[in-house]
Amino acid sequence: MKRYLFSAFCVLTVYFILLGPFTRTMEQKPYIEKLGLIPNPRLLSALFPDYQELLAASIIGKVILYYGSLAERLDQPGKVIYAADYPAMSRSIHAALRLDPYNMDGYYFGQSILAWDARQYVLATKLLEYGMQYRTWDWQLPFFAGFNYAYFLHDKEKAAEMYMRAGDLSGEPLFQKLAGRYLQEAGDTRMAIDYLGTLAKNARNPALRQTLQVRISAFEAVLAIEQARDRFMHEHGNLPANIADLVEAGYLEDTPIDPYGGEFYFDENHRVLTTSKFAFAAPRVPSDDDSSESPE
Amino acid sequence: MTIVTVTLKSILRDRVLQGILVASMVFLAIPAVSTLSMRQVTELALTLSLSLVSFILLLLAIFLGGVSLWRDVERRYTHSVLTLPLGRGKYLLGRFAGIGLFLVGTAALLGLLTFVVVSFVSAGYRPDRPVSWLAVMAALGFDTLQCLLLVAFAVLFSSVSTSFFLPIFGTIAVYLVGGASQQAYDYVLSPAGQTLSPAVRQVAGLLYYIVPNFSAFDLKVNAIYAMPLDPGSLALTAGYGIIYTAFVLIVAVTIYSRRELG
Repeated sequence: MKRYLFSAFCVLTVYFILLGPFTRTMEQKPYIEKLGLIPNPRLLSALFPDYQELLAASIIGKVILYYGSLAERLDQPGKVIYAADYPAMSRSIHAALRLDPYNMDGYYFGQSILAWDARQYVLATKLLEYGMQYRTWDWQLPFFAGFNYAYFLHDKEKAAEMYMRAGDLSGEPLFQKLAGRYLQEAGDTRMAIDYLGTLAKNARNPALRQTLQVRISAFEAVLAIEQARDRFMHEHGNLPANIADLVEAGYLEDTPIDPYGGEFYFDENHRVLTTSKFAFAAPRVPSDDDSSESPE
Repeated sequence: MTIVTVTLKSILRDRVLQGILVASMVFLAIPAVSTLSMRQVTELALTLSLSLVSFILLLLAIFLGGVSLWRDVERRYTHSVLTLPLGRGKYLLGRFAGIGLFLVGTAALLGLLTFVVVSFVSAGYRPDRPVSWLAVMAALGFDTLQCLLLVAFAVLFSSVSTSFFLPIFGTIAVYLVGGASQQAYDYVLSPAGQTLSPAVRQVAGLLYYIVPNFSAFDLKVNAIYAMPLDPGSLALTAGYGIIYTAFVLIVAVTIYSRRELG
């Protein structure tokens, strides 16, 4: 008996010695290695015919956990650092939605992350339109797509069409109002804030919620500058040369801070832009017109 | 009836029920795991619950169906039974009915657990659309029907061979082929499939009508997203499943009646 206990003790000791380096090695593995190579969705659905929804949920769950693990120091939004492998995340989301085209988490995550961080506007919008073929009752997909068309792709006609569809599906007259309002030239910043507020509503994933809140605060700063600029123009008859003029003239209390670490400025058309482009550094950003991964 | 009772008792004696109860402890983790979802917590709870039920039923169908007859031969139980005034056909059908009843009972028990777990989760996280319990019951029912068809195949393979491996791996192969048959047929009909040689397309078409089509039995997506069911399609699928099972059993009985049991 004593011999067995001694053997068990030795084996357990070695196990605990190995556990530390093993865990560290696993933590340092790149995403692709962590997730493993996701086989073709057709192959997966052929091998596991009854478990497509489970596989899709599992892949999306892994991507969400991976993304969550990248957001560090959530109590300091300005220091949230991303080093996400967006192409790998995009591939995973597309594979998952091929397996289960009804999975809302896939569309929500795709829209929240791919459109904003990876700047894959066309791809994110295609993904939403693919989802609309299946989730025919869901107003959120046309709402997201409407925003993409209006804000990123500047296709006001398609945006209005999508908002009307969201209005029809939700029964909310708000969307019809938005459709009309967003067709006006002004109001893009307010539109973005409204949109992000809807996206952030009920977002329970801490990393995602933090991301959206940072973005909302950045757009609120832009809105404050735009409103100050318009008041300046109205009262002086000319536009301010820079943001410091607005502070000096008392239209802004302080120079608004960009939570992404950049600095706000006026471009040649006096639009408010920021040197951060509303994003933290994200390596390996894929091309916007890379539509090769469309799920269709 | 005696064989049915003996089969059920034998399954219970093997502590299969306890095994199922241990496996269903996973249900306890489902509410916590479901909260990882960002927008469809209840739907994820349904996905996990139905997949777990489906997996347990699949394992039971393959192993109970594949092992039952083989073990009787190994233990020489078959010889004793067949000396009784009982036809081989009745013996085989009794075994099938016993396993089938156990599967139905297990599906009902696991269905109840699904109801408890999903009700608990949906009380905290209201889904976009209310849970369709009818669709959930239909998904469980058709999963069970698919497993009964697999048990029939396992019995058929057992009637052919005394080996343990043929019934088990044969049934797994039928499960894989049956799950992929609709996809393969759709591919053959698609524009991409037109590039295949006519002979391959004809063979694929022929196989489609011969091998079972399990994709029709998978109603998980309807249950998870509360999508409406098509009664006509369900009736056709149920009829297809019952007739296919009956045919496989008739073949199994025919082969077993003529088999020499050394």
